[in-house]
Amino acid sequence: MEEASAPRSEGPDARQRILRAATELIASDGIDEVRIARVANRARASTALVHHYFSTREELLAQALLQSFELAADERFVAGPAAAASATEGLAIAIEECLPTPGEGEREWVLWVELWLRAAREPELRPVAGRMYESYREWVARVIRRGVDSGEFSQVDPDQVADLAMALFDGLGVRALIRDPAMSLERARRIAAERLAAELGIDPEALAGASTG
Amino acid sequence: MSPRPQIDHVRRPQILAAAAEVIAERGLAKTRIADVAERAETSSPAVLYWFGTKNKLLTAALREDERLFDELVAERLESLDRPSAKLRELFEICAEDANWTLWLELWTRSLHDEPMREAERQVESRWRALLTEVIEAGRSTGEFTTDSAENAALAIGAIIDGLAVQVTIEDPAVSRERMLAICVSTAETLLHADLSARPALKAAS
Repeated sequence: MEEASAPRSEGPDARQRILRAATELIASDGIDEVRIARVANRARASTALVHHYFSTREELLAQALLQSFELAADERFVAGPAAAASATEGLAIAIEECLPTPGEGEREWVLWVELWLRAAREPELRPVAGRMYESYREWVARVIRRGVDSGEFSQVDPDQVADLAMALFDGLGVRALIRDPAMSLERARRIAAERLAAELGIDPEALAGASTG
Repeated sequence: MSPRPQIDHVRRPQILAAAAEVIAERGLAKTRIADVAERAETSSPAVLYWFGTKNKLLTAALREDERLFDELVAERLESLDRPSAKLRELFEICAEDANWTLWLELWTRSLHDEPMREAERQVESRWRALLTEVIEAGRSTGEFTTDSAENAALAIGAIIDGLAVQVTIEDPAVSRERMLAICVSTAETLLHADLSARPALKAAS
């Protein structure tokens, strides 16, 4: 078996550049419009090099989505709420991180929605999506468990409330993302805060206040 | 000039059903008019006569999907009097029917395409109006308590969508039963209502 070897000067940096270029193009144009040639051009690589790292277009796109979420999770989802002074403040940060806030948040959200669609259509992507939901669920449940353990929240099942929280974030977030006139980002925040506060027996203002502070 | 396509009115629903299937399987980008024609056992000119473009085909397929959903809802809610029973039944229908593939297509296209966004809004606002109506009705009978039926409808609609996405992509953590249970318990908290008993719908068929 022979494999074309990548030019040495490119190395793993080129792979990263290609993935970054792919995520940028997915976010700006939609996944169906992404062409290998444009990814290569944006990454300052040849199409041959793109094919060296990713045998098919689908593989490139799947890897780009996966990596983008893993990076986001490491940088923001885990670090932010963990550093919060209280579980309530941690949850307020979580609400903010999970909704499509302008800039980076929206960009990631576009990829998130694209991932749903790909996973709905392509069974081989479902395990990838399933893994992401699993980390997402663990992360949200951890934020809630902290408050249950400390007595800030009522004695709920953290996994159950995590499922509700994720459904809220996804359902509210997608409406805010597509600019539903009835669902401003502010309204999405408020509804998420009210619902979770009601489940956790806390004052919704404590969640809303911290998130906008 | 190509011959004028045979206009067969009976074909339109079949074309839409075929379009919904093919688009859900491959996505709009990889759907060719010819594929839809083949599935519907008709010709490409006939598909193009009715729908013109692929985008129009998608929105028409969604409207058809919505029409069928409305029919189903009307049929299943008809025999129910109490708003709490109606809301519970809506959750049952959504959980049974939760394949959001076409909606996901519409959502992603809405991000980049204004006419798609408009189509999405129309369908969504009708669904939201139905939820709001049921919640308002429950408020007047005293079964539900909420400050704002509209806010409650937004929250409930969001939870249904969020869970349906996970059911659609077969997240092992969210089964249809779990989707239903979360919808019911959230609505109970939200509306201070009791939705626990599934109403006796109809005699066993």
